[in-house]
Amino acid sequence: MKKTILFVEDEEIILKVYADELRDEGFLVITAKNGKEGVDMALSSHPDLILLDLLMPVMDGMTALKKIREDAWGQKVPVIILTNLSATKEQLVEDMITHKPMHYLIKSDWKLHDVVKKIEEILDKSDTN
Amino acid sequence: MKSLFKTFYTYIAKTIFVVSFFMFVFFGTLLFSEVFILNNIAGVSENQTTQNVTQNTRVDTTSAGLDVKVAPGEILPISIKLSNFGGGKKVDVTITYGIFNEKGVQIYTTTETIAVETTANFVKTIQIPFGTAPGKYIAKASIVYQGQVVPATTQFPFTVEQKILGLFQSDFILYGGITLLVSILVSLIALAFTKRRRTRSTPLDYSDIPHDERVFFELLSDTIMEMRQRVGDSALQIARKIDGLVIDEKSGRILKLTGKPSKIIAELVSGYEQAIGKKVSFSFRK
Repeated sequence: MKKTILFVEDEEIILKVYADELRDEGFLVITAKNGKEGVDMALSSHPDLILLDLLMPVMDGMTALKKIREDAWGQKVPVIILTNLSATKEQLVEDMITHKPMHYLIKSDWKLHDVVKKIEEILDKSDTN
Repeated sequence: MKSLFKTFYTYIAKTIFVVSFFMFVFFGTLLFSEVFILNNIAGVSENQTTQNVTQNTRVDTTSAGLDVKVAPGEILPISIKLSNFGGGKKVDVTITYGIFNEKGVQIYTTTETIAVETTANFVKTIQIPFGTAPGKYIAKASIVYQGQVVPATTQFPFTVEQKILGLFQSDFILYGGITLLVSILVSLIALAFTKRRRTRSTPLDYSDIPHDERVFFELLSDTIMEMRQRVGDSALQIARKIDGLVIDEKSGRILKLTGKPSKIIAELVSGYEQAIGKKVSFSFRK
Protein backbone atom coordinates (compact mmCIF):
# COMPACT_ATOMS: atom_id res chain seq x y z
CA MET A 1 0.00 0.00 0.00
CA LYS A 2 1.27 3.44 -0.93
CA LYS A 3 2.43 5.71 1.86
CA THR A 4 0.78 9.12 1.99
CA ILE A 5 2.81 12.28 2.34
CA LEU A 6 1.29 15.66 3.10
CA PHE A 7 3.39 18.53 1.78
CA VAL A 8 2.49 21.93 3.22
CA GLU A 9 4.20 24.66 1.20
CA ASP A 10 3.11 28.03 -0.14
CA GLU A 11 5.61 28.23 -3.00
CA GLU A 12 3.94 26.53 -5.92
CA ILE A 13 7.09 25.68 -7.83
CA ILE A 14 8.64 23.90 -4.85
CA LEU A 15 5.34 22.21 -4.13
CA LYS A 16 5.11 20.87 -7.67
CA VAL A 17 8.70 19.74 -7.94
CA TYR A 18 8.60 17.85 -4.64
CA ALA A 19 5.16 16.39 -5.28
CA ASP A 20 6.22 15.10 -8.72
CA GLU A 21 9.42 13.56 -7.34
CA LEU A 22 7.63 11.90 -4.44
CA ARG A 23 4.96 10.52 -6.78
CA ASP A 24 7.72 9.17 -9.02
CA GLU A 25 9.16 7.45 -5.97
CA GLY A 26 5.84 5.72 -5.39
CA PHE A 27 4.28 7.88 -2.69
CA LEU A 28 0.74 9.21 -2.61
CA VAL A 29 1.09 12.97 -2.25
CA ILE A 30 -1.45 15.42 -0.93
CA THR A 31 -0.65 19.11 -0.76
CA ALA A 32 -1.68 22.22 1.13
CA LYS A 33 -0.70 25.83 0.46
CA ASN A 34 -0.77 27.20 4.00
CA GLY A 35 -0.72 26.05 7.61
CA LYS A 36 -4.47 26.08 8.08
CA GLU A 37 -5.09 23.94 5.01
CA GLY A 38 -2.29 21.71 6.18
CA VAL A 39 -3.84 21.13 9.62
CA ASP A 40 -7.22 20.34 8.06
CA MET A 41 -5.74 17.90 5.59
CA ALA A 42 -3.53 16.27 8.18
CA LEU A 43 -6.35 15.66 10.61
CA SER A 44 -8.74 14.43 7.92
CA SER A 45 -6.34 12.33 5.83
CA HIS A 46 -3.90 11.08 8.48
CA PRO A 47 -0.85 11.00 6.20
CA ASP A 48 2.13 8.82 7.09
CA LEU A 49 4.47 11.83 7.08
CA ILE A 50 4.20 15.60 6.90
CA LEU A 51 6.65 17.83 5.08
CA LEU A 52 6.14 21.29 6.51
CA ASP A 53 7.31 24.76 5.56
CA LEU A 54 7.46 27.39 8.33
CA LEU A 55 6.91 30.74 6.67
CA MET A 56 3.46 30.62 5.10
CA PRO A 57 0.42 32.89 4.81
CA VAL A 58 -2.80 32.43 6.83
CA MET A 59 -1.10 30.14 9.38
CA ASP A 60 2.65 29.57 9.80
CA GLY A 61 4.16 26.12 9.96
CA MET A 62 5.01 26.10 13.67
CA THR A 63 1.42 27.02 14.64
CA ALA A 64 0.19 24.29 12.32
CA LEU A 65 2.54 21.82 13.96
CA LYS A 66 1.25 22.80 17.42
CA LYS A 67 -2.31 22.16 16.31
CA ILE A 68 -1.44 18.83 14.74
CA ARG A 69 0.37 17.74 17.92
CA GLU A 70 -2.71 18.62 19.99
CA ASP A 71 -4.58 15.83 18.20
CA ALA A 72 -4.15 12.28 19.50
CA TRP A 73 -3.17 10.96 16.07
CA GLY A 74 -0.99 14.00 15.39
CA GLN A 75 1.21 13.45 18.42
CA LYS A 76 3.11 10.67 16.73
CA VAL A 77 3.06 11.57 13.06
CA PRO A 78 6.60 12.15 11.77
CA VAL A 79 7.18 15.72 10.61
CA ILE A 80 10.03 17.14 8.60
CA ILE A 81 10.40 20.88 8.64
CA LEU A 82 11.66 22.15 5.30
CA THR A 83 12.37 25.84 5.49
CA ASN A 84 14.81 28.60 4.75
CA LEU A 85 14.35 30.09 8.21
CA SER A 86 17.40 29.90 10.49
CA ALA A 87 16.90 28.32 13.89
CA THR A 88 18.64 31.21 15.61
CA LYS A 89 15.62 32.49 17.50
CA GLU A 90 15.16 31.21 21.02
CA GLN A 91 11.38 30.91 20.69
CA LEU A 92 11.67 28.88 17.48
CA VAL A 93 14.11 26.48 19.13
CA GLU A 94 11.84 26.14 22.13
CA ASP A 95 8.83 25.41 19.91
CA MET A 96 10.81 22.82 18.01
CA ILE A 97 11.90 21.06 21.14
CA THR A 98 8.34 21.06 22.40
CA HIS A 99 6.75 19.77 19.21
CA LYS A 100 9.62 17.60 18.00
CA PRO A 101 9.83 17.46 14.25
CA MET A 102 12.19 14.67 13.17
CA HIS A 103 14.36 16.92 11.07
CA TYR A 104 14.84 20.65 10.63
CA LEU A 105 16.14 20.96 7.10
CA ILE A 106 17.27 24.10 5.36
CA LYS A 107 15.75 24.02 1.86
CA SER A 108 18.70 25.63 0.13
CA ASP A 109 21.11 23.13 1.69
CA TRP A 110 19.23 19.98 0.85
CA LYS A 111 18.85 18.38 -2.52
CA LEU A 112 15.45 17.01 -3.41
CA HIS A 113 16.91 13.53 -3.75
CA ASP A 114 18.39 13.66 -0.22
CA VAL A 115 15.11 14.84 1.28
CA VAL A 116 13.36 11.93 -0.39
CA LYS A 117 15.96 9.60 1.11
CA LYS A 118 15.27 11.01 4.57
CA ILE A 119 11.55 10.44 4.04
CA GLU A 120 12.17 6.87 2.94
CA GLU A 121 14.40 6.23 5.95
CA ILE A 122 11.73 7.48 8.35
CA LEU A 123 8.94 5.49 6.72
CA ASP A 124 11.07 2.35 6.52
CA LYS A 125 11.85 2.66 10.23
CA SER A 126 8.20 3.22 11.11
CA ASP A 127 7.38 0.05 9.14
CA THR A 128 9.89 -2.03 11.07
CA ASN A 129 8.65 -0.62 14.36
CA MET B 1 104.29 -10.39 -51.68
CA LYS B 2 104.58 -11.49 -48.13
CA SER B 3 105.25 -7.87 -47.17
CA LEU B 4 102.18 -6.67 -49.06
CA PHE B 5 100.10 -9.31 -47.35
CA LYS B 6 101.38 -8.19 -43.98
CA THR B 7 100.65 -4.52 -44.73
CA PHE B 8 97.11 -5.42 -45.72
CA TYR B 9 96.48 -7.27 -42.52
CA THR B 10 98.18 -4.61 -40.49
CA TYR B 11 95.52 -2.31 -41.87
CA ILE B 12 92.89 -4.76 -40.85
CA ALA B 13 94.57 -4.99 -37.51
CA LYS B 14 93.67 -1.34 -37.08
CA THR B 15 90.07 -2.44 -37.05
CA ILE B 16 88.04 -1.47 -34.15
CA PHE B 17 86.08 -4.40 -32.93
CA VAL B 18 83.19 -3.20 -30.88
CA VAL B 19 80.80 -5.67 -29.47
CA SER B 20 77.85 -4.36 -27.60
CA PHE B 21 76.03 -6.80 -25.50
CA PHE B 22 72.45 -5.93 -25.15
CA MET B 23 69.88 -7.66 -23.09
CA PHE B 24 66.13 -7.71 -23.53
CA VAL B 25 65.29 -9.40 -20.32
CA PHE B 26 61.89 -10.90 -20.74
CA PHE B 27 58.55 -10.60 -22.42
CA GLY B 28 55.56 -9.67 -20.42
CA THR B 29 57.41 -7.96 -17.60
CA LEU B 30 56.86 -4.46 -16.31
CA LEU B 31 57.09 -1.76 -18.92
CA PHE B 32 59.37 0.45 -16.93
CA SER B 33 61.75 -2.46 -16.42
CA GLU B 34 62.00 -2.79 -20.17
CA VAL B 35 62.56 0.90 -20.64
CA PHE B 36 65.22 0.81 -17.97
CA ILE B 37 67.08 -1.97 -19.71
CA LEU B 38 66.83 -0.43 -23.15
CA ASN B 39 68.12 2.87 -21.85
CA ASN B 40 71.06 1.17 -20.27
CA ILE B 41 71.77 -0.73 -23.43
CA ALA B 42 72.14 2.56 -25.25
CA GLY B 43 74.51 3.64 -22.53
CA VAL B 44 76.61 0.57 -22.98
CA SER B 45 77.05 1.23 -26.67
CA GLU B 46 78.41 4.65 -25.97
CA ASN B 47 80.58 3.75 -23.06
CA GLN B 48 82.17 0.54 -24.11
CA THR B 49 85.91 0.59 -24.11
CA THR B 50 87.28 0.09 -27.57
CA GLN B 51 90.88 -0.32 -28.55
CA ASN B 52 92.41 -0.45 -31.95
CA VAL B 53 93.57 -3.84 -33.02
CA THR B 54 97.23 -3.49 -33.67
CA GLN B 55 100.05 -5.92 -33.37
CA ASN B 56 100.36 -5.29 -29.67
CA THR B 57 96.85 -4.32 -28.86
CA ARG B 58 94.04 -6.48 -27.58
CA VAL B 59 90.42 -5.63 -28.08
CA ASP B 60 88.44 -5.67 -24.90
CA THR B 61 84.99 -4.34 -24.19
CA THR B 62 82.91 -4.43 -21.09
CA SER B 63 79.26 -4.02 -20.24
CA ALA B 64 79.98 -0.91 -18.17
CA GLY B 65 78.64 -2.53 -15.03
CA LEU B 66 75.24 -3.23 -16.55
CA ASP B 67 73.39 -5.82 -14.55
CA VAL B 68 71.66 -7.88 -17.21
CA LYS B 69 69.23 -10.57 -16.14
CA VAL B 70 67.76 -13.42 -18.09
CA ALA B 71 65.73 -16.48 -17.16
CA PRO B 72 66.61 -20.03 -18.26
CA GLY B 73 65.12 -20.71 -21.71
CA GLU B 74 64.94 -17.02 -22.61
CA ILE B 75 66.70 -15.28 -25.45
CA LEU B 76 69.82 -13.23 -24.84
CA PRO B 77 70.19 -10.78 -27.74
CA ILE B 78 73.70 -9.57 -28.45
CA SER B 79 74.28 -6.61 -30.70
CA ILE B 80 77.45 -6.98 -32.75
CA LYS B 81 79.26 -4.24 -34.57
CA LEU B 82 82.33 -4.92 -36.69
CA SER B 83 84.00 -1.97 -38.32
CA ASN B 84 87.00 -0.87 -40.34
CA PHE B 85 87.46 -4.23 -42.00
CA GLY B 86 88.41 -4.96 -45.49
CA GLY B 87 89.77 -2.02 -47.37
CA GLY B 88 87.37 -2.73 -50.22
CA LYS B 89 87.57 -6.51 -49.99
CA LYS B 90 85.41 -8.92 -48.08
CA VAL B 91 86.99 -10.65 -45.13
CA ASP B 92 85.63 -13.83 -43.60
CA VAL B 93 85.34 -13.28 -39.87
CA THR B 94 84.53 -16.19 -37.60
CA ILE B 95 82.79 -15.21 -34.39
CA THR B 96 82.66 -17.59 -31.46
CA TYR B 97 80.10 -16.96 -28.76
CA GLY B 98 80.42 -18.64 -25.40
CA ILE B 99 78.69 -18.55 -22.06
CA PHE B 100 80.74 -19.32 -18.97
CA ASN B 101 79.73 -19.80 -15.37
CA GLU B 102 81.49 -18.22 -12.42
CA LYS B 103 84.00 -21.05 -12.28
CA GLY B 104 84.93 -20.45 -15.90
CA VAL B 105 83.21 -23.58 -17.18
CA GLN B 106 81.72 -23.11 -20.61
CA ILE B 107 78.05 -24.08 -20.66
CA TYR B 108 77.25 -23.00 -24.18
CA THR B 109 79.11 -22.20 -27.35
CA THR B 110 78.30 -21.49 -30.96
CA THR B 111 80.25 -20.24 -33.93
CA GLU B 112 79.39 -18.46 -37.13
CA THR B 113 81.30 -16.99 -39.99
CA ILE B 114 80.32 -13.83 -41.77
CA ALA B 115 81.83 -11.89 -44.63
CA VAL B 116 82.60 -8.33 -43.66
CA GLU B 117 83.38 -5.49 -46.00
CA THR B 118 84.27 -2.39 -43.93
CA THR B 119 81.47 -2.71 -41.33
CA ALA B 120 78.79 -5.13 -40.18
CA ASN B 121 75.99 -4.68 -37.69
CA PHE B 122 73.69 -7.42 -36.57
CA VAL B 123 72.00 -8.91 -33.53
CA LYS B 124 72.89 -12.42 -32.49
CA THR B 125 70.41 -14.18 -30.25
CA ILE B 126 71.41 -16.93 -27.88
CA GLN B 127 68.87 -19.02 -26.05
CA ILE B 128 69.97 -19.65 -22.49
CA PRO B 129 69.64 -23.42 -21.91
CA PHE B 130 66.56 -24.38 -19.89
CA GLY B 131 68.54 -26.23 -17.25
CA THR B 132 70.90 -23.35 -16.53
CA ALA B 133 71.34 -22.90 -12.80
CA PRO B 134 70.68 -19.42 -11.39
CA GLY B 135 73.83 -17.41 -10.86
CA LYS B 136 76.31 -15.06 -12.48
CA TYR B 137 77.61 -15.82 -15.97
CA ILE B 138 79.87 -14.27 -18.54
CA ALA B 139 79.09 -14.04 -22.23
CA LYS B 140 82.15 -13.90 -24.43
CA ALA B 141 82.53 -13.22 -28.10
CA SER B 142 85.79 -13.52 -30.01
CA ILE B 143 86.65 -13.04 -33.63
CA VAL B 144 89.10 -14.81 -35.85
CA TYR B 145 90.00 -13.81 -39.38
CA GLN B 146 92.71 -14.65 -41.77
CA GLY B 147 95.94 -12.94 -40.97
CA GLN B 148 94.86 -11.90 -37.54
CA VAL B 149 97.74 -10.67 -35.47
CA VAL B 150 96.25 -10.32 -32.04
CA PRO B 151 93.19 -11.94 -30.47
CA ALA B 152 90.03 -9.86 -30.25
CA THR B 153 87.68 -10.82 -27.51
CA THR B 154 84.94 -9.06 -25.64
CA GLN B 155 82.79 -10.11 -22.75
CA PHE B 156 80.14 -8.96 -20.34
CA PRO B 157 78.58 -10.37 -17.22
CA PHE B 158 74.95 -11.26 -16.86
CA THR B 159 72.77 -13.03 -14.34
CA VAL B 160 70.52 -16.02 -14.81
CA GLU B 161 67.54 -15.91 -12.51
CA GLN B 162 64.28 -17.83 -12.23
CA LYS B 163 60.98 -16.06 -12.80
CA ILE B 164 57.88 -16.07 -10.66
CA LEU B 165 54.63 -14.97 -12.29
CA GLY B 166 56.56 -13.32 -15.11
CA LEU B 167 58.88 -11.41 -12.79
CA PHE B 168 62.45 -12.21 -11.90
CA GLN B 169 62.69 -13.71 -8.43
CA SER B 170 64.53 -10.71 -7.00
CA ASP B 171 62.10 -8.27 -8.64
CA PHE B 172 59.19 -10.35 -7.43
CA ILE B 173 60.50 -10.16 -3.86
CA LEU B 174 61.25 -6.44 -4.20
CA TYR B 175 57.96 -5.44 -5.81
CA GLY B 176 56.02 -7.90 -3.66
CA GLY B 177 57.64 -6.48 -0.54
CA ILE B 178 56.93 -2.91 -1.58
CA THR B 179 53.34 -3.79 -2.49
CA LEU B 180 52.85 -5.58 0.83
CA LEU B 181 54.38 -2.69 2.76
CA VAL B 182 52.26 -0.11 0.94
CA SER B 183 49.13 -2.24 1.42
CA ILE B 184 49.79 -2.56 5.16
CA LEU B 185 50.46 1.17 5.40
CA VAL B 186 47.31 2.09 3.47
CA SER B 187 45.24 -0.34 5.55
CA LEU B 188 46.58 1.13 8.79
CA ILE B 189 45.88 4.68 7.64
CA ALA B 190 42.40 3.70 6.45
CA LEU B 191 41.74 1.93 9.75
CA ALA B 192 42.88 4.93 11.78
CA PHE B 193 40.88 7.29 9.59
CA THR B 194 37.75 5.13 9.81
CA LYS B 195 38.13 4.78 13.56
CA ARG B 196 38.52 8.52 13.99
CA ARG B 197 35.59 9.18 11.67
CA ARG B 198 33.44 6.60 13.40
CA THR B 199 34.29 8.07 16.79
CA ARG B 200 33.34 11.51 15.55
CA SER B 201 30.16 10.42 13.80
CA THR B 202 28.76 8.13 16.48
CA PRO B 203 26.15 9.97 18.52
CA LEU B 204 27.18 10.30 22.15
CA ASP B 205 25.02 8.67 24.76
CA TYR B 206 23.23 10.87 27.28
CA SER B 207 21.03 8.26 28.93
CA ASP B 208 22.42 9.37 32.30
CA ILE B 209 20.87 12.81 31.85
CA PRO B 210 17.31 13.28 33.21
CA HIS B 211 14.72 12.76 30.48
CA ASP B 212 13.39 16.34 30.35
CA GLU B 213 16.90 17.76 29.83
CA ARG B 214 18.24 15.00 27.59
CA VAL B 215 16.72 16.36 24.38
CA PHE B 216 18.81 19.55 24.73
CA PHE B 217 22.00 17.61 25.37
CA GLU B 218 21.35 15.36 22.39
CA LEU B 219 20.45 18.17 20.03
CA LEU B 220 23.50 20.23 21.02
CA SER B 221 25.80 17.23 20.92
CA ASP B 222 24.58 16.06 17.49
CA THR B 223 24.82 19.58 16.08
CA ILE B 224 28.41 19.97 17.34
CA MET B 225 29.30 16.54 15.96
CA GLU B 226 27.86 17.31 12.53
CA MET B 227 29.60 20.66 12.39
CA ARG B 228 32.85 19.03 13.46
CA GLN B 229 32.61 16.80 10.42
CA ARG B 230 32.12 19.83 8.23
CA VAL B 231 34.57 22.35 9.68
CA GLY B 232 36.82 20.24 11.90
CA ASP B 233 37.84 21.07 15.44
CA SER B 234 36.92 24.72 15.05
CA ALA B 235 33.37 23.47 15.70
CA LEU B 236 34.52 22.75 19.25
CA GLN B 237 36.09 26.18 19.61
CA ILE B 238 32.85 27.84 18.54
CA ALA B 239 30.87 25.71 20.99
CA ARG B 240 33.27 26.56 23.84
CA LYS B 241 32.57 30.25 23.34
CA ILE B 242 28.82 29.87 23.91
CA ASP B 243 27.76 31.13 27.34
CA GLY B 244 26.18 28.46 29.50
CA LEU B 245 27.55 25.56 27.42
CA VAL B 246 30.27 23.39 28.93
CA ILE B 247 31.77 20.72 26.67
CA ASP B 248 34.63 18.23 26.79
CA GLU B 249 37.45 19.82 24.82
CA LYS B 250 38.42 16.63 23.03
CA SER B 251 35.23 14.70 22.41
CA GLY B 252 32.79 17.60 22.25
CA ARG B 253 30.59 15.84 24.78
CA ILE B 254 28.12 18.15 26.53
CA LEU B 255 29.10 18.24 30.19
CA LYS B 256 26.82 20.88 31.60
CA LEU B 257 24.23 23.47 30.61
CA THR B 258 24.24 26.44 32.93
CA GLY B 259 21.99 28.69 30.85
CA LYS B 260 18.62 28.45 29.15
CA PRO B 261 18.92 25.47 26.75
CA SER B 262 16.91 26.96 23.88
CA LYS B 263 19.00 30.13 24.04
CA ILE B 264 22.21 28.09 23.99
CA ILE B 265 21.01 26.10 20.95
CA ALA B 266 19.99 29.28 19.11
CA GLU B 267 23.37 30.89 19.84
CA LEU B 268 25.29 27.77 18.81
CA VAL B 269 23.37 27.54 15.52
CA SER B 270 23.98 31.24 14.96
CA GLY B 271 27.72 30.78 15.66
CA TYR B 272 27.97 27.96 13.16
CA GLU B 273 26.02 29.85 10.52
CA GLN B 274 28.46 32.74 10.83
CA ALA B 275 31.42 30.35 10.65
CA ILE B 276 30.32 28.45 7.56
CA GLY B 277 28.23 31.14 5.90
CA LYS B 278 25.31 28.75 5.58
CA LYS B 279 22.19 27.99 7.51
CA VAL B 280 22.32 24.93 9.73
CA SER B 281 20.00 21.95 9.55
CA PHE B 282 19.65 19.48 12.40
CA SER B 283 17.79 16.40 13.47
CA PHE B 284 16.16 15.12 16.61
CA ARG B 285 16.76 11.66 17.95
CA LYS B 286 13.73 9.42 18.16
